[in-house]
Amino acid sequence: MTIDMSQFYQVFFEETAEHLAAMESLLLGLDVGAPDDESLNAIFRAAHSIKGSSGTFGFTDLADVTHVLENLLDRIRKHELPLRNDMVDAFLAAGDTLKALLSAHQGGDPVDAGTVGDVCAKLKALTSDAPAPDAAAAKVPAPVSGQDAAVPPSAGKPCYEIEFVPTLEAAADHQVLPNLLQELSVFGEIDILAQPQPNAPGMWRLRLTTERPQDDFVDIIDFISEQDAWRVKPVAGPVEDAGGAYGLFDAPATESAEDAYGFFEPQVEAAAVTQAEEGDGFGFFEPLPDAAAPAPVSAAAGEEGDGFGFFEPLPVPAADSVPAVTESLPPPAPVLPDAPVVSAAPPATSPAAATPARDSKPKPPAAAGGEAASIRVSVERADQLINLVGELVITQAMLLQCATQMNDAAPEALINGLAQLERNTRGLQEAVMSIRMMPISFVFSRFPRVVRDLSSKLGKQVELKMTGETTELDKGLIERIADPLTHLIRNSLDHGVEMPEKRIAAGKSPTGTITLKAAHQGGNIVIEVGDDGAGLNRQRILAKARERGFQVSDQMPDQEVWALIFEAGFSTAEVVTDVSGRGVGMDVVRRNIQSMGGRIEIESMTGIGTRMTVRLPLTLAILDGMSVAVGEHTYILPLSYVIESLQPEHGDIKTLSNQGRVIQVRGEYLPVVSLQELFRVPGAETDFTKGILIVLDADGTKAALFVDALVGQHQVVIKSLEQNYRRVSGISGATIMGDGRVALILDVSALIESARSTQQAMAAAATA
Amino acid sequence: MEAVNQQNTATEEDQSSSEYLTFRLGEEEYAIDILKVQEIRGYESPTTIAYAPPFIKGVINLRGIIVPIVDLRIKFGLGTVEYTPFTVVIILNIAQRVIGIVVDSVSDVTSLTGGQIRQAPDFSASFDTKYILGLASIDKRMLIVTDIERLMSSRDMELIDEAAAN
Repeated sequence: MTIDMSQFYQVFFEETAEHLAAMESLLLGLDVGAPDDESLNAIFRAAHSIKGSSGTFGFTDLADVTHVLENLLDRIRKHELPLRNDMVDAFLAAGDTLKALLSAHQGGDPVDAGTVGDVCAKLKALTSDAPAPDAAAAKVPAPVSGQDAAVPPSAGKPCYEIEFVPTLEAAADHQVLPNLLQELSVFGEIDILAQPQPNAPGMWRLRLTTERPQDDFVDIIDFISEQDAWRVKPVAGPVEDAGGAYGLFDAPATESAEDAYGFFEPQVEAAAVTQAEEGDGFGFFEPLPDAAAPAPVSAAAGEEGDGFGFFEPLPVPAADSVPAVTESLPPPAPVLPDAPVVSAAPPATSPAAATPARDSKPKPPAAAGGEAASIRVSVERADQLINLVGELVITQAMLLQCATQMNDAAPEALINGLAQLERNTRGLQEAVMSIRMMPISFVFSRFPRVVRDLSSKLGKQVELKMTGETTELDKGLIERIADPLTHLIRNSLDHGVEMPEKRIAAGKSPTGTITLKAAHQGGNIVIEVGDDGAGLNRQRILAKARERGFQVSDQMPDQEVWALIFEAGFSTAEVVTDVSGRGVGMDVVRRNIQSMGGRIEIESMTGIGTRMTVRLPLTLAILDGMSVAVGEHTYILPLSYVIESLQPEHGDIKTLSNQGRVIQVRGEYLPVVSLQELFRVPGAETDFTKGILIVLDADGTKAALFVDALVGQHQVVIKSLEQNYRRVSGISGATIMGDGRVALILDVSALIESARSTQQAMAAAATA
Repeated sequence: MEAVNQQNTATEEDQSSSEYLTFRLGEEEYAIDILKVQEIRGYESPTTIAYAPPFIKGVINLRGIIVPIVDLRIKFGLGTVEYTPFTVVIILNIAQRVIGIVVDSVSDVTSLTGGQIRQAPDFSASFDTKYILGLASIDKRMLIVTDIERLMSSRDMELIDEAAAN
């Protein structure tokens, strides 16, 4: 039977991309000196999943790279090798290679086989250059080193007592249990200590004498047992046990990789006893939270002299250390009550010895729970749903308008029904819109890598602080904000943060900080990219602007000076690097942000730092708007810009040099923009006292917009004008009104900008 | 490039015919590839757009899509520009866009073989002859076979942003 696998490729690509992203963010979060076991395991799991699924789908190149990657990861995970910085680099490089391979499969550029080979070779080299004791241990499980090796493990083979309750299906099947016994007998001698009546459910007790690590057979037992209803317990004397435990600990990488999956969940309760001996990162951190590690554990662990074991008898201190270690600060070794044991442990395992305390974080593996609660839906389908709901809202508005026009003729039931329909559609719309909302962490998650790579390239020390990663915004915006934000961060790194020596000379910490903040503010999302670097250099910008032939003066306010860096071809970097300084970019950043309906502002202080603030609408699809009438036309003003409206008295509106008009509102002179003049609408009101003025505020810049009348307040579905037409200045989009007509949505910032520019031109003309 | 391709296919498929929608602009009759036509509907007054050239009448709501309406009569200076209940809008589906064109009337659907379409003489017309695929005559009627996609996405139609146009 052949199944066309290609239909699942898309899912594979998406999943693999997610695994790679998860892997990368975990890698970047690792504390190299004392890696968190859980993160290592999570990284390993991600790599393993990629390997598994790429193998299944026949992408062997991906599988090959991941296999090598996995081998090294596994050794680190088992503390056979200490994690080093160059390993993290190699992992990241491997991640990049995998991404490239993935995109090649998706129709991207083919990947240079040499690069793949290099990465694999690097990983292999790292995998094999293990310290001597470890290498020995890997080959011969028993004689590890130090004190444990004093007693030859061959003195008695490790012996395990296995208890399990087979599943009903397994018990009912005559084949299963004999098969199990046969499989186990491959490992060593089996004695059946107790067994239930044939075909009846009940507990089996076996004794298995084997040199093989217990990882090798636990999953066989797990397979036929009821959930969690099994335990494996070493029964031989402590001396042999210690050898056995070490053997497990140093088990060959690839084998136990698979096993790790098998036993890691069921052991939560049932196998508490065994975990002490396993010495595996997966095994023992789970029973700790219940702080009820049974007595046998302490006995076994104490005797073992295993670096791992000593944590078990001390559930309370371990638990206490949890708050301290969540920030990935390893508790200093002397704090641990069993410190002598630590020192007794072989040197190769000392980093490992420090980590178990941090593993006691009572955190279940995240991946297990989340997946069942979500479904994967293509964006197109979600968008289709959103469009349909948008249509529904329009239809509902249309019906409501019909009913209103009927006045008294409309039956009450109809009116009530329509009112309910309105509520329901609105609820539906909100629910549907939330499908598209995603946390901004999807964008933010890539920045630790960017900062890490770039700061090491530039020789700077930079720390990235991120807050508000859970802030949600529209998926469409998420995709589009990534590039501008990356650019801003690169810019901050390159131009903002100074070299360490310079920072020290300026009395600052050598490590610069880049902050990335996201938060909701009204109907907007505000993203800040800040640095504590040198700040923008006003003089240099002005000098550069003059050089480029811009009209500038020394009296220009800071805001306007900073805005110059958004001009095309403007870069004040002294040296053009491959990072930035070519002067392309900031203008693109601003254009991109504006095309999303957003704005960008700069604040900067010399020596203190620079902060770029990006404001974006939460969603591209819906808007709270106020409809205004001009002549026969209706325009929509985004409500978030509207401050107040007023009807001017005769003579309120003053002219400047007989052209620019201003009005004094609450002590402030605001420029007056006449929409009918701006858009050349025929038949509109020209007498200011007969129309209405709407005071608008776009980022602190205010203006008064003159229109004929206010019509009402609506929630409008934003339709793109550019989809079939093109950008129109002063207009940000279109919507469909209740009567089916198209109304244009005004771009308030552009309107105010145009008012300001005419105002300034006039002021300049007046002073000249 | 596209035109070249189309001519190539035209010579190869001289005998195979394709369907064309013909419409009138004043005294002239135009033919466009029927596969580009989405639908034909009556004229409804569109929402005007500031700063748009006169031949762009504005935008309408076509079942939830905002569609710009171009009056080809104004663009080519042909026919009488008046809007009656019989004024026809052809909704085109070109270059992943939906665009409406106002014409005097829609005549019929004709099938033309490649051989029937003759090369148009090169002369200056109200629009560049590069948008004319050729001329075809049927019963003394001369059909101007137009590359409507190229015409509508051309820069002088001002329908598409400069950046998107190339």
